[in-house]
Amino acid sequence: MTEYTGVAGTPGMAERADGSGGDAWILETVSVSKRYVRDGRSLHVLDRVSLGVREGEFVSVVGPSGSGKSTLFRLIGGVERPDEGIIRIAGRDATGRRGLISYMPQQPSLFPWLTVRQNIASALVIAGIDRKKAAALAAEWLDRIGLGDTAGAYPDELSGGMKQRVSFLRALLMPRDVMCLDEPFAALDALTRTRMQAWLLEQWEAHRRTVLLVTHSIEEAILLSDRIYVLGGTPTAVRREIPVPLPRPRRPDVWNDPAFGRLREDILALLGRSDRRDD
Amino acid sequence: MAGKRWRRVLPPVSAIAGVLLIWQALCAALDIPAWLLPDPWSIALHMAEEAELLFGHVAFTLGLALRGMLLGVAAGVICAFVFHALPAVRAAFSPLLVASQNIPLIALGPLLMIWFGVGILPKLILLVLVCFFPVAWSMLAGLGRSEPQLREYLAMIGASRVQTFFRLELPASLPYFFAGLKLTATYSFLTAMVAEWLGSGRGIGYFLVLQYKGFKTTGVFASIFCIVACSLVLYGLAVLAESWVLGRLRMGGSRVKGGGGA
Repeated sequence: MTEYTGVAGTPGMAERADGSGGDAWILETVSVSKRYVRDGRSLHVLDRVSLGVREGEFVSVVGPSGSGKSTLFRLIGGVERPDEGIIRIAGRDATGRRGLISYMPQQPSLFPWLTVRQNIASALVIAGIDRKKAAALAAEWLDRIGLGDTAGAYPDELSGGMKQRVSFLRALLMPRDVMCLDEPFAALDALTRTRMQAWLLEQWEAHRRTVLLVTHSIEEAILLSDRIYVLGGTPTAVRREIPVPLPRPRRPDVWNDPAFGRLREDILALLGRSDRRDD
Repeated sequence: MAGKRWRRVLPPVSAIAGVLLIWQALCAALDIPAWLLPDPWSIALHMAEEAELLFGHVAFTLGLALRGMLLGVAAGVICAFVFHALPAVRAAFSPLLVASQNIPLIALGPLLMIWFGVGILPKLILLVLVCFFPVAWSMLAGLGRSEPQLREYLAMIGASRVQTFFRLELPASLPYFFAGLKLTATYSFLTAMVAEWLGSGRGIGYFLVLQYKGFKTTGVFASIFCIVACSLVLYGLAVLAESWVLGRLRMGGSRVKGGGGA
């Protein structure tokens, strides 16, 4: 319904107006820009960012810290509106509309007064699932991913990694078209982080949900993704869209693959061009 | 466990016992007349003799204090909800409310009596005015102080204003609510007693006036002990309610942070 002026190497609904088939864009940001005014000065954060995620695809957005990745998520989540551009989810205009995505934040954000099961069920109720079904679903899936023992525990009894597993499951079970993961492992220690990446890979291979991951870890992006958008510059723009040529199903030791190393070098070079603050 | 508890109780109990003993000894040694300062033992005897009378008056005042507290706390919670939901109302009325807390009770009481007579109504109004403020103010602070990460999470998954209120703001405000409740519990019995001075035929406040007008110093001290004991009991009940509710919500003790995330 909205005119789309294509930007090279970016998705556009124009060619796939019917929105059918496995190739359809589930999530699409079309030339999205955002400025803030802080202390009377205008701060240009995002400059015509266009990216997209297809049905069942795992896509990562990589960029240096402070490059507006979280702003991008707030726009996709509908918590803020872009100054220019459109956000589409499942083919419909979702600009400024909330409640269309499921979300896994950097901090586990579990409610301390609810048990693990209640935390998951509570989110599902907000997403419109009835109370009984939500509780049953939460219990069933906690068992299924091997967290059945923690169902009755409170968040402060869990380790950081466990909390993030619960947070991931909560996002996975939300009946929404796309999962947005916002640097989900950034707050974990290196060892736990590596384990959690392997775990997430395994979970994703099993469920194949549509995922958009924001991260500043290049390795994490390559390990998990089908495609990577590299962000950079001030204001932040898409520097390049890179398909990941590694086969699926993928194993956590895929970093031994020479293609992995070459990709890592490419992305590092792209990021290094703007600044050297990446990890 | 029992030993630990004992060690916590022992120092204050022995301090109180020590004060009473010195008081008793001074009264005996200096031969102070009872109308000037009665000794604790005589006060205790007097209280035992007049137990039935005292109990009747205390029960009446306690009833008044509890009813006033209940209404005041309800008014405070409703006020906090309304102010939280409607910032314009908050901005308009909060200076007025703060000002209302500076009206001296001693001036307000007679006015209420002129307007509403000598029945229970003016006394309840006085109690509500005193009791609602600490609850309203601290709960209002609590409602706005929930964990930003949890707020952001709820916004990102599309929770409505009402859902955010019931799932985050309300539970996170409970530690603040109980802080206000404890203050209210401390004030309510004293306020009920002051309210009785303004015209009542019953209650410990009325009894106290009778005693000191008749220079019955022992009776005055007996009333004071009853009043302090009742205030402490009300405070203790508020503390018990707090630890029970917050304990159930995993917010007890050192964990009180208004809904900490990690």
